[in-house]
Amino acid sequence: MSASPAKPNRGYGRWTPAWFLAPAVLTLFLIGIYPTLFALVTSFRRYNITRPRDGFPFVGLENYVTVLTDSTFWSSLFLTAQFYLSVLPIQIVLGLAIALLLHKPGMGMLKSLARVTLVVPLATTYAVVGLIGRLIFNREFGVANQFLDLMGIAPIDWLGTPAGAFAAIVIMDVWQWTPFCALIFLAGLSMVPGEIEEAARLETSSKLALLRYVQLPYLMPGLTSIMILRSADVLKLFDMVFVMTRGGPGSATDLISIYIQRVGFRIFDLGTASAQALLLLVITIIISRLYIRLLYREVH
Amino acid sequence: MTFLRLDSIKKNFGDVSVIKGVTFSAAKGEFVVFVGPSGCGKSTLLRMIAGLEDVSEGQLRIDDKDVTYEEPAKREVSMVFQSYALYPHMSVFENMAFGLRMAKMPENEIRTRVAEAARILQLEPLLERKPRALSGGQRQRVAIGRSIVRHPKIFLFDEPLSNLDAELRSQMRVEIAKLHRSLGATMVYVTHDQVEAMTLADRIVVLRAGLVEQIGSPTELYDRPANTFVAGFIGSPKMNFINATVSAAGPGSLVLDHVTFVGGRLVVDTPSAGKVKVGDTVIVGLRPEHLEIGSSAPVLSLTLDFAENLGGSTQLYARGEGEPVIIVTPGRPALDAGDTVKAGISPKHIYLFDAAGIAL
Repeated sequence: MSASPAKPNRGYGRWTPAWFLAPAVLTLFLIGIYPTLFALVTSFRRYNITRPRDGFPFVGLENYVTVLTDSTFWSSLFLTAQFYLSVLPIQIVLGLAIALLLHKPGMGMLKSLARVTLVVPLATTYAVVGLIGRLIFNREFGVANQFLDLMGIAPIDWLGTPAGAFAAIVIMDVWQWTPFCALIFLAGLSMVPGEIEEAARLETSSKLALLRYVQLPYLMPGLTSIMILRSADVLKLFDMVFVMTRGGPGSATDLISIYIQRVGFRIFDLGTASAQALLLLVITIIISRLYIRLLYREVH
Repeated sequence: MTFLRLDSIKKNFGDVSVIKGVTFSAAKGEFVVFVGPSGCGKSTLLRMIAGLEDVSEGQLRIDDKDVTYEEPAKREVSMVFQSYALYPHMSVFENMAFGLRMAKMPENEIRTRVAEAARILQLEPLLERKPRALSGGQRQRVAIGRSIVRHPKIFLFDEPLSNLDAELRSQMRVEIAKLHRSLGATMVYVTHDQVEAMTLADRIVVLRAGLVEQIGSPTELYDRPANTFVAGFIGSPKMNFINATVSAAGPGSLVLDHVTFVGGRLVVDTPSAGKVKVGDTVIVGLRPEHLEIGSSAPVLSLTLDFAENLGGSTQLYARGEGEPVIIVTPGRPALDAGDTVKAGISPKHIYLFDAAGIAL
C-alpha cells in the first residue's frame, strides 16, 4: 500500500477539465451565443447598413412592431406552415412504411443494402438537393416530365408555375427527409422486445392492432423527435429552395427564411431581419415544448 | 382422448436440423413437461405449438383440428414467457384485457373475467399499476393472469420460473400446480430444471438434440429410465455410473467386475441377464439417495474426497478407482476426507444399461 496519496497525477490539476471543455464552449460561444446576443441587440436598433449616415440608434420595439404588422411576414410564415403540413404527413407515413418493411424478418443482405442507401439523401447537402431538383423538374429535359409523358400526361412547367414550384420543393424535401424518418422509426421498432411482439401475436392476428397498441408506444419518442427536428428544420429551410426557385415564381415558394434573408441581405435592413429571426426562434421553442408536452412518452 | 397431437414434427433452420421428428400426444387436462439440456429444442417445440415458429415438416393438431399452418392468434393457445413479456405501457388490468379486447368481447364480460383471474392470482390490489411497478413474482402472476382470462385450449409455459429467485420459484411452482388442478386445463411446460419437471408433470417428455429420449410419468422416468441420458437427467444429484465388465452370466443373474465393488465384483439378479455375454461392458447406475453408508452388506468401497453438510442430510463426494461417486445420506456421519467409505444398496435399486447406454 502506498502511503503517499498526496503525490498528484502529473499534468492533472484543478483546471484540467476546464481546458478540455474550453474549445467546445468557445466555439459554441463564437458561432452560437455571441451571434444570437448580437441579433438580440440589433433587433432593438435601426440597423440598415446601406444608410450608415443614419447611425444605428436604439428604437425600442419598433422593429418588432414593423414585423408583426408586416403582411408579407405573416404570409411567408403561413406558407412555411403549409409546407410543413404538406411534407410531414407524407414523410411520416412513407417513413413508417419503409421502416415496417425493413423490420420484417428475412432478406438480410438486401435489407442491409437498403439501410445504407437510406443514408444517401441525408448525406446530401441542401444546395445539391436543390441542384438535383432543378434537373429533375426542368421543363425540357427533366426526368419528372419524362415520367408524366410515359403516363400520357402533358409536360408541366414545374418551376414556372406557383403550384408546380411548391409541389417540386415538397417532393424534394420528401425525398431528402423520408429516409431519416424511416431510420428513426426502424430504431423504435427494434426497441420492442421480441417476446412482447410475440405475446401480442398470440392475442391478435391484426397487424394494424399490433402496430397501434404494441409498437406505436415505442415509436412515440422517435415521432416527437421527428416533429421537433422537422419543424425547426423547415423554419430554417433556405438553401434547397433558394437554389431551386429563389422563392418564386412570385412568392409561391417564399418560405420564411428566404424572406428573412431578403430583408437582411438584399434590403440590408438587419434590425428588422434580426427581429424576424428572433421571433422565429421563439416560435421554434414554443412548438418544441408543445410537442414534448403533448406527445413525448417514455416506455419503460 | 387426444387433445394435442404432434406428428413427426421437424424443424430446420437453414441446413441445421433442430427438431428431428417428434411424435407425441397429450390428453385434455394433462400437464406435460418438456425437459432437456439447453439446445435440445424444447423451447422451439413449444414455440411451434404456439405458432411462433413455422413447422418445417409434420402435422400439429389441437382439439382435433389441423393447426400446422394456422396463425398464432387463431390457435386459441396462450403462452407465459420467460421474460413475462407484459406490455410496459399498459396497466395490469389492460394487460390482461388486451387479448379479450382484440377478440371484441363485450366490456362487462372482460371485467368479469379479469376480476376472476385477479382473484385467483391475488392481483386485485395491483390492477391499476404498470408492470414496472411490480416485483418479478407479481409480473409473473400477471403474465399467468393474461393467459387465464382468455380461457385458452392450451396453456404454454416457456421456462416461466427461471428469472425468479429460489424461494419465489418454489412458491410459484406450487401455485402453478394448484392452478392446473383448479382449472383442469391442458398445459405444456418447458424447463431445464428437473425438479420442476418432476413436481409439476403428469407426463414428462425428455428431449435431447431434437429427439425424444423418453416419455412417461415422473415415477416411470425415475424408476425405469430408458437409457443413461434419462437416468442421469432425472433425479438430483445425478445418478452414479460405473462401467463394469461381465465375468459370468447365468440365467437370471450376472456377475459384474469392477475394482470399486467390494471384493472386485457385484452379483446382480436380473431378468435381462441373457441380453449380455461374458466380456461385455455393463453400465451400473446407482442413485446417490439409494446408497447407504454403514450397510451390513456393502457393495462399494470408496475413498471420501469431500463432505457437504446440508443440515438435515450430507452429500458425500467419494471416489472409487477413478470414478466419482456421490452419496446422499441422512444426518451428519463423522467422516473426513481420505476416509474409506463403504456403501450398500438394495438390489432393487440397481439400474443396468448396456454399453450403448440402453436400459437392460
